[in-house]
Amino acid sequence: MTDTAANPAALAAKPQTLWSTAWRQFRRNRLAVICLGIVAIYVGVFLYAESVYWFARLRDIVPSYKVADFAARNAHPSAAHWIGTDFAGRDNLAQLIQGVRIAFEIAFLTSAILIPLGFLLGALAGYFGRWVDNTIIWLYSVVDSVPSILSIISISYVVGRGMKGIVIGMGLVAWVGLCRLIRGEYLKHKQRAYVAAARALGAGHLTVMLRHIAPNVLHIIIIVFTLAFPRFILTEVILSYLGVGITGEPSWGVMINDAKQRLWLGVWWELGGATAAMFFLVLALNIVGDALRDALDPKLKTAESSKA
Amino acid sequence: MQTTNDTLLSVRNLRISFFTDEGEVRAVDGISFSMKAGETLAVVGESGSGKSVTAMALTRLVPAPPARYVGGEIIFKGHDTLKMSGEELRKVRGAQISYIFQEPSTSLNPVFTIRSQVAEALELHRRDIGIVDAEVERLLALVGIRDARLRMSDYPHQLSGGMQQRVMIAMALACNPSLLVADEPTTALDVTIQAQIMELLKELKQKLGMAIMLITHNFSIVADIADNIAVMFRGKIVEYGPTQRVLRDPQHPYTKALLECIPRLGAHKDRLKTINHAEIEAALKR
Repeated sequence: MTDTAANPAALAAKPQTLWSTAWRQFRRNRLAVICLGIVAIYVGVFLYAESVYWFARLRDIVPSYKVADFAARNAHPSAAHWIGTDFAGRDNLAQLIQGVRIAFEIAFLTSAILIPLGFLLGALAGYFGRWVDNTIIWLYSVVDSVPSILSIISISYVVGRGMKGIVIGMGLVAWVGLCRLIRGEYLKHKQRAYVAAARALGAGHLTVMLRHIAPNVLHIIIIVFTLAFPRFILTEVILSYLGVGITGEPSWGVMINDAKQRLWLGVWWELGGATAAMFFLVLALNIVGDALRDALDPKLKTAESSKA
Repeated sequence: MQTTNDTLLSVRNLRISFFTDEGEVRAVDGISFSMKAGETLAVVGESGSGKSVTAMALTRLVPAPPARYVGGEIIFKGHDTLKMSGEELRKVRGAQISYIFQEPSTSLNPVFTIRSQVAEALELHRRDIGIVDAEVERLLALVGIRDARLRMSDYPHQLSGGMQQRVMIAMALACNPSLLVADEPTTALDVTIQAQIMELLKELKQKLGMAIMLITHNFSIVADIADNIAVMFRGKIVEYGPTQRVLRDPQHPYTKALLECIPRLGAHKDRLKTINHAEIEAALKR
């Protein structure tokens, strides 16, 4: 600290970007850092599962997690099968790991639809106001007024069931929350002096909207992404459990749905494994998301309010 | 009024209204003035007198709606900015008419470095520039920022208010504007920094020769920079003339009242004078 204070060149050489301050704030939250580690482990598992899947697919062989062994049906946990096997004798752990892949794929693909849609509509509504705003508010109120599970199911029946249906369905329904937040931020930011200054400098509306204001609301997208991630996973599980979701691949919802039929036989490890895997990922993501919000939001708030 | 060669800006009978639920508010109610190239005009008036709206209207920056440009014309270099297309206006804004605003801390975008903000002004209007960094550094040095090269990577919140205002001025000067509109440039700054910024503006004016339209509610800063003064009251210019004449021999009761409000050092007064609008109204009716 002292040497940077004494030497302005050293201070200038190490600029405190918004990200570095946010990271410092985030690191202070011990629990969030642990959860970030858990998320990192899941990401590692996801990459491993993805490689197993593609290895089998490109070689055109039956992947290991689908290999049935009828001699070892509903096997108890053992050294060979850490959390036992399912009704067809497939290794539960391998399926669980593939479940991570399905969950991540769904969450990423849904976000790829939701974030551009929600951001763009929110930005347009908030920035331009008037009839643009009215139309978009009307649109999201309509989407929001239908229970989301019902609209996701009906959309997935139209576009085709399975992964595609779930992703498009959730993407077309879940953008509302992000859109509202972004709209509110744009309403706030378009009143800011820096927007007037950018206009006075000769910047057009689109430039102001996308280049000047967007970086100021970017943290919202990151927060929404981390907090929506577990919701997508849960929704996929619910849909698969209801039988309108993933077919042919071992998602957590499919596993839980299958497992419930054998619970009365005392075969609880399949259900327990899938639930635990889901529990830890959702919990970790929620805590990381909350910590991110704390780290990113007040940072901007203090920078603004101290001068306002 | 004949537009001569050295007339830079001529505003004629400009009228801007805001239409609210309570009816029409005439923010600018038929004002006329003109500026020569290199001239400094101070527009003085209280809050809500329409001076900022006038300044913003020069390049049609007052959003319409809610505002409406009811009538008049703004001839800048022979073209009426009120009749320009959005595209043409954007070429005037920042390039020929530049603005400095009241609050430097909020007028700079908090998430970009100084470098990128000044560079944007260059990118918008001077695409021919090869080495942007060198030009940014030159501009920052021009407005008196020491160690400009090091400062370029700073974010706005790392600078003091005076420094931020200097950066705003650097952005405004990036394209050699022929008119610099300074909308209360020193209001948010403390008194010593105010003096520095006014000194800088004077110095830049001598160096670069642009016209300055200085908007303020503070008579004490205009005396040694302005050539002409326009006093605005309730959307109208009530007094308009050479600085010395207006300051020594104010004609309009509002101008007189404004001048009387300036506290003088050493004068023994129990109470500071304030403006009594009823008195002015009464004086106007006489």
